Amino acid sequence: MTPESFILLVEDNPKDEALTLRALKKGNIANKVIVAHDGAEALDYLLASGADGSQNHLPQLVLLDLKLPKMDGHEVLKHIRGDQRTQLLPVVILTTSVEDGDRLKGYRLGANSYVRKPVDFVKFAEAVTQLGLYWLVLNEKPPVPA
Amino acid sequence: MSGRVLVVDDSLTVRMNLVDMLSAAGLPAVACASVAEARAALVGESFSLAILDVLLPDGDGVELLGEIRAMPAAVGTAVMMLTTEVEISDRVRGLTTGADEYVGKPYDPGYVIARARELVRRGETGREPAEKAVLLIDDSITFREALKAALEHASYRVSVAGSGEEGLRFAADLRPSAIIVDGQLPGMDGATFIRRIRLDAALRGLPCLLLTGSDDSGAEVHALDAGADAFVRKEEDIGLVLARLNAMLRSAAGQVAQQATASLQGPKKILAVDDSETYLQQVADALRADGYDVVLARSGEEALELLALQPVDCMLLDLMMPGIGGRETCLRVKNAPGIRDIPIVMLTAVDDRDAMIQGLSAGADDYIAKSSDFDLLRARVLAQIRRKQFEDENRLIRDQLSRAELEAVEARGAQEVAATRAALIRELESKNEELESFSYSVAHDLRAPLRSIDGFGLALLEDYADKLDDDGKQYLRYVRESAQQMAQLIDDMLALSRVTRGEFERTPVDVSVIAREVAGRLARANQTRKVQFITPERLAADADGRLLTVVFENLLGNAWKFTSKRRDARIEVGVTDVHPRAFFVRDNGAGFDMAYASKLFGMFQRLHSNAEFEGTGIGLATVQRVIRRHGGRIWAESVVGSGTTFFFTLEDDARYAPPPKTANHPTTGAAA
Repeated sequence: MTPESFILLVEDNPKDEALTLRALKKGNIANKVIVAHDGAEALDYLLASGADGSQNHLPQLVLLDLKLPKMDGHEVLKHIRGDQRTQLLPVVILTTSVEDGDRLKGYRLGANSYVRKPVDFVKFAEAVTQLGLYWLVLNEKPPVPA
Repeated sequence: MSGRVLVVDDSLTVRMNLVDMLSAAGLPAVACASVAEARAALVGESFSLAILDVLLPDGDGVELLGEIRAMPAAVGTAVMMLTTEVEISDRVRGLTTGADEYVGKPYDPGYVIARARELVRRGETGREPAEKAVLLIDDSITFREALKAALEHASYRVSVAGSGEEGLRFAADLRPSAIIVDGQLPGMDGATFIRRIRLDAALRGLPCLLLTGSDDSGAEVHALDAGADAFVRKEEDIGLVLARLNAMLRSAAGQVAQQATASLQGPKKILAVDDSETYLQQVADALRADGYDVVLARSGEEALELLALQPVDCMLLDLMMPGIGGRETCLRVKNAPGIRDIPIVMLTAVDDRDAMIQGLSAGADDYIAKSSDFDLLRARVLAQIRRKQFEDENRLIRDQLSRAELEAVEARGAQEVAATRAALIRELESKNEELESFSYSVAHDLRAPLRSIDGFGLALLEDYADKLDDDGKQYLRYVRESAQQMAQLIDDMLALSRVTRGEFERTPVDVSVIAREVAGRLARANQTRKVQFITPERLAADADGRLLTVVFENLLGNAWKFTSKRRDARIEVGVTDVHPRAFFVRDNGAGFDMAYASKLFGMFQRLHSNAEFEGTGIGLATVQRVIRRHGGRIWAESVVGSGTTFFFTLEDDARYAPPPKTANHPTTGAAA
């Protein structure tokens, strides 16, 4: 794990944020986690350019909640996929909803995975650990386009 | 059609008289003295009307009538029999052979000509029911133009005249279908105008509507005296004028032409029934002098036979007769549809109070004692005919008005129904949307706090275990358990609502495949359990596959749960042999007391404590909804300690046809 590989967690609920961070810690995933508290903030972070025109480092994985203030998760995903710089970025929707409509829309917009947050924290921690292991360790990230 | 009339009579006097009168009335006529001559004439051209005598030197007029009725070229020819009447049976024979009219001799020439014009006109309007022409005579331009516009709106062709003199010229030239005339005109007034029309042989049959002033109390008498067919007060609604006009025209030429003739002054037929030949002849003479066509019958039976073929305008009926008698005849007429409106004047030899009551109770319209003075009889007959005329017109107007009203009500009703339905659909749609967003909120917003309760509960247990005693740790475990139970409840309720809301699509499915998939998932989730699962290779059904999966998730889930305390757990899925075919899920688990079977499918109903077996009490309610959406039934049989079987059908029982005896007829496309 390279030190610069980090996770962007898009989550507005501070309690869920705390639980997710705790679950990652329980799963021994030591990568840095940057938290955006709403959709706009997430996009600002991902698509913002520095003063010299250089871009922020992109995260290795985005964990995206769907129900967010200002701009919901689906819309954030649409923008991510619509921008050349982030169109290949691995995005996992991590949400409470298992409505058919939400899932369908998520996959249609190009989500890499769709994971439901279980109420039971033991199961939740297990899910987050597996996600981290898979996307940060096992999965080969796409090459930077020439 | 030529408009020409064929007259066949062996009497030269009759021939000359009729040909002259017909020509004067604008109906050119050809006269023949024998059947042979008539046949020759009929080959040469087609006539609008044939007037036939019965007794001819070389044959029978009724037979000639039969020949005319068989001629394809003479389909449109109306036939009037004009003959010395001997017996009612002759009349019946003529009418059944196809005569349109049967007039007895001695005849009233005015009556014959009027009927002839009517028959010819009916033939013409029958061919071309073109727009009706109305002549409107009024000196007030404002009223005239308003009425003209209304009439034209109702598809009448309207000609206008400003005075009676001008109106008479127009009537002769234009031959309108009806005339509307104002009572008050400069020079010749409306009543005088109508009298002049009634004096003109060619025009006397024209229906006339008189418009009267508002404060003229004698208007009705005045108008009817003059021979108007109807009158309307000028300040009445124009719609009423139209309705009166329509009724007048319909009774003149329409469906009821035989029963209700156009004008009060027009030809009227009276049926006199009496067993006394002398009295009959006296009555006939008296009434014929007034211009009526009088038909004579010698008994009630004869009268009824005739009425079945030819309705009349009024009936004089002797009370005391041999045979069925006057009272019974009256009763039968008054109970027969079509002729029950014919006014009946009952006659009897003596002024007998009991006889009078007897006659009136049988439905007679009037009662008169026989005498040699016929003035009273004539007055009574005229009164009855007038009354019937007005009743007919009023009925037509009423029918027309109520029909229009009914149509308006129906249209309004249909509109209201459509509006209500649209509103209901909108309401339902918005309710569905509300429900949708409510379910979404439940799914999303209720679970997030539960996750926190559970997560932080566990965090406390893990991170602060040393600061809590055993009771404290137990309480935290209860907190987490409750949170998880509530999460399960929410999930189950959402599943239930999805079952009701989602689309329903029946396709051929294999029940065995669905059951095995669900059982496989259960086995993977409970790997410590060992359960024997039995299902046939194939179980075909027509059902919604997604919903059927929900059924098995619940039924197999239950079976799995309730067999958890057995080492030799066994679950079987199958179908019964008996009719109707029911699928079943059988386990050898804990079972339940059948006394509570009725509570099984109720929402939140549980037959076991949570300590015994966990559950939310929503699963079977969900299953039942799915089965009901398929139109089927679900029921259970159970023995405590030895197991439960759930049976369900997937179709309305009534739809199960008994298995066909000849099952091996070729079924095309069955292999597809």
